[in-house]
Amino acid sequence: MTAYVSIEGIARRYGPTTIFQDVWFGIARGEFVCLVGHSGCGKTTILNILAGLEAPDDGSVIVDGEAITGPSLDRAVVFQGHALMPWMTAAGNVAFAISCRHRDWSRAACDAAAREALKRVGLDHAADRKPAELSGGMKQRVGIARALAIHPKMLLMDEPFSALDALTRGALQDEVARLVAESEQTGFMITHDVDEAILLADRILLMSNGPEARIAEVVLNTLPKPRTRANLHHMPGYHALRDHILDFLIARSRAFKADAPPAGWSARAVPEVSPALSAPPLAAE
Amino acid sequence: MSGSVSFWRSAGLSLLILALFLGAWEIAVMPKSGGGGPALDPEYAALLGQAAAQGGTTPMPGPSAIGVRLLELLADPFYVRGPNDQGIGVQIAYSLLRVGAGFGLAAIVAIPLGFVIGMSPLLNAALNPFIQVLRPVSPLAWMPLALYSIKDSAISAVFVIFICSIWPMLLNTAFGVASVRREWLNVARTLEAGRWRTAIRVILPAAAPTIVTGMRISIGIAWLVIVAAEMLVGGTGIGYWVWNQWNNLSIADIVIAILMIGLVGLALDRLLGLGARAVAWRE
Amino acid sequence: MAFRPRPPSRRLAACGCGATHDSGFACDVAPADGTGAHGEVAQEAVLRAAFPQAATRRALINAVGAGTLFAALDSVFPLARAREAMAQGAGAPEKRDLKIGFIPITCATPIIMADPMGFYRRNGLNVEVIRTAGWAVIRDKSIAREYDAAHMLSPMPVAMSLGVGVAQPVPWAVAAIENTNGQAITLANKHKEKRDPKDWKGFRFAVPFDFSMHNYLLRAYVAEAGLDPDRDIQIRAVPPPEMVANLRADNIDGFLGPDPFNQRAVFDGVGFIHVLTKEFWDGHPCCAFAVPRGMMTETPNTFAALMRAIVEATAHASKAENRREVAQAISGQNYLNQPQTVVEQVLTGTFADGLGRVQRVPDRINFDPFPWHSMAVWILTQMKRWGQIRGDVDYAAVAQQVFLATEAGRAMRELGITVPASASRTHRIFGRDFDPAQPEAYLNSFAIRRS
Repeated sequence: MTAYVSIEGIARRYGPTTIFQDVWFGIARGEFVCLVGHSGCGKTTILNILAGLEAPDDGSVIVDGEAITGPSLDRAVVFQGHALMPWMTAAGNVAFAISCRHRDWSRAACDAAAREALKRVGLDHAADRKPAELSGGMKQRVGIARALAIHPKMLLMDEPFSALDALTRGALQDEVARLVAESEQTGFMITHDVDEAILLADRILLMSNGPEARIAEVVLNTLPKPRTRANLHHMPGYHALRDHILDFLIARSRAFKADAPPAGWSARAVPEVSPALSAPPLAAE
Repeated sequence: MSGSVSFWRSAGLSLLILALFLGAWEIAVMPKSGGGGPALDPEYAALLGQAAAQGGTTPMPGPSAIGVRLLELLADPFYVRGPNDQGIGVQIAYSLLRVGAGFGLAAIVAIPLGFVIGMSPLLNAALNPFIQVLRPVSPLAWMPLALYSIKDSAISAVFVIFICSIWPMLLNTAFGVASVRREWLNVARTLEAGRWRTAIRVILPAAAPTIVTGMRISIGIAWLVIVAAEMLVGGTGIGYWVWNQWNNLSIADIVIAILMIGLVGLALDRLLGLGARAVAWRE
Repeated sequence: MAFRPRPPSRRLAACGCGATHDSGFACDVAPADGTGAHGEVAQEAVLRAAFPQAATRRALINAVGAGTLFAALDSVFPLARAREAMAQGAGAPEKRDLKIGFIPITCATPIIMADPMGFYRRNGLNVEVIRTAGWAVIRDKSIAREYDAAHMLSPMPVAMSLGVGVAQPVPWAVAAIENTNGQAITLANKHKEKRDPKDWKGFRFAVPFDFSMHNYLLRAYVAEAGLDPDRDIQIRAVPPPEMVANLRADNIDGFLGPDPFNQRAVFDGVGFIHVLTKEFWDGHPCCAFAVPRGMMTETPNTFAALMRAIVEATAHASKAENRREVAQAISGQNYLNQPQTVVEQVLTGTFADGLGRVQRVPDRINFDPFPWHSMAVWILTQMKRWGQIRGDVDYAAVAQQVFLATEAGRAMRELGITVPASASRTHRIFGRDFDPAQPEAYLNSFAIRRS
């Protein structure tokens, strides 16, 4: 089946250096995909290309059958820094997005919808506060609410929790997992955090180190849903999955060479593995 | 070290400094005891000023004399007894009108133009040499040129204010617009906001504090320029009033005029300060 | 003080108006005293009224000649008045609301006093007298027609009409002299023992403007003492109120300036009056009531009314018994803005001289409106002497164009004041006779000059 979102052979070069090229992957509707890799492999660039904020040097991105030409309301972005406009209240920020989506809606309607969206992330009590009066976690939640409020075809998240402290991060991860599951939102996220990827993603793309980075492997997340942080590490296969990804990040991401790839690898058909399945069952209690 | 200063303490210190300064001034201008020079024929002495009759020269007035004169002027600030004789309130009003006209015109031109320059690096680079050359020219140099080409002195005065106060607003607006955070622009792009909506709802509020700062600087310059322009061209206005009192060698009036000019300048700045507070935002 | 040299272009040339006149001179238009085209139309009209049949007129002119015919008509009909009336218009001023600029010095007394004392009103005019910041501003506002008429230094209209100190020549005229005498050389108190001009080498003097009687008189005075005004002393143009302040601050050693600032220097104990300019040339012109030449043809009735008002005021001020009243009227904040006693001392001529004596010189300042052509000729010789104009000058033509002796004479006649028979006379200047018919000889008689 043709994927809902299809990335076809995109590349990025700076002068003589190729950051990455020959990147092919697809995202099915309702699927959540995470991209994991070291800094410098071009993850953020891929996200920007997906969002339409940058144009690739090669290849194209097809969404729902059409090639993209620029940024679109269909592909909402949650930025690493929350990117909230400091002169608008939380509700104002979300309402601005909604009014961009629904040009003919009245001010009151946009405001009401904004408050609804903030309620979903649990911030209806802070709707009238300016970003300066919100904590880091709250600001990021507003960012997420803003992205979800316009009902995009695809949600793009660029390391959305890396700027937060560990406790907030954990709370937000759970919340995003819940929201994504509720709305069956198609999503693409970049992260460093392996646990986060395992929590949220259906498929995890592993990217080799740049320059000349490639998608080295696709890891299928076969752990059962719904997943929360509380129950995640108790799930069978979790540790195998986690170890596999860590091994990649520690050794294989550097060892992967595009001009001498391991057997069975091709850019268009990146090997898919399911480490969680091949794990031995836990010893019965 | 410590936090904010108590208002009363700083006010008290200011008043003390002022009192010391005024006291020293009053003592400095007191006439020396014992008139100098030979006794003068009484008819002759009657024809001279008070100080000259005692063998000296008319002195610089002290704070007490100035204070008396100030009360006189403030008692009836809005009288009109002829085209050359109007109250100090009326003169200030004339000046403010001219400033309003010139500054308003400058704002109407500078802010949109600054916007366009800020959004277009090409235009910025192309116009920058002209701006940098015209910016430092003094109003006293523009005035004769304006009078020569425009001929009407009222319009010339407004033009000189315009041409001198436009630059801070223009440059600040361009700078503010050019330095809007990339992030917010990207948000607007992903939301498909469109150029107009992005300009009005993202760029303008983001650049507003810088723009208003430019306006604050400009109003100060405009007020400065009007006083100089009126001294050259005359007619009405506080600058003309200064020149007129200078004609009469009436130093007390000139000091009072300086005080008034300073106070009005302060008020104008405060007014725009309110504006700055209204558009300010914190991260 | 630097003069801008003029290119030698004082050649006569034909102008678009048809008349030949100096090329550097602004073009004249038909005079309004009945001798031009207007007058002839009037004559024609009277002739037709008397003899309606064209044939009769032709026969009569052939028989006795036009001159005899008009003389005969004149005995039964006042042709001269008709000519003048025709040329002057119906009588009511075309423009009633006028703005006249003045500099706040006692030279402008007639212009100023005509406001509070009602002379303008009496002649059907509503005049606003506007105090102006300086001579250059008054000139520019006049040229821009922001002022309908103005108080100017008497050489200024000459300079403007010749194109000196302005971008191009503008036709300006002295309609009446504001005041005669009324200036003085004031020195700083420290020079009380140095009153001989021969000791003035290196002194710094101030005068109000380049094109002023003050400048010319000062230069002539020091030249008489053997000093070269461009090499041995410094002369600066300084606005009158700043003269007193500069004297006080020891920036200048003295000034030849207008009153009341000489008296003000004495009043403030800053200087003393060394000599009154009436000692150089008793009856010298100083300031003028200046109008654009076009006013005489564009708004002749307004012009005539203005002239009457000014001449009336001048006549009133010239009488000694009125001086106190005038001083009181013009010292106020709306006019001169000076202490009344200072203005009174200037106008009455009973004044403190800064050296301990009370002097009584009743014609320290005088008011006589008649703009003698010979005065203009003297001004021209001095402008040429110091290099303000170069090349040949048609003295008589310029004098006649700029100093409107005829118009002033008419206004004086209407008010019953005796008008001089000729517009030119000899003047006694610095102890020598000046003959306006021999300007070049006069100019050449000076050892110290620039041209």
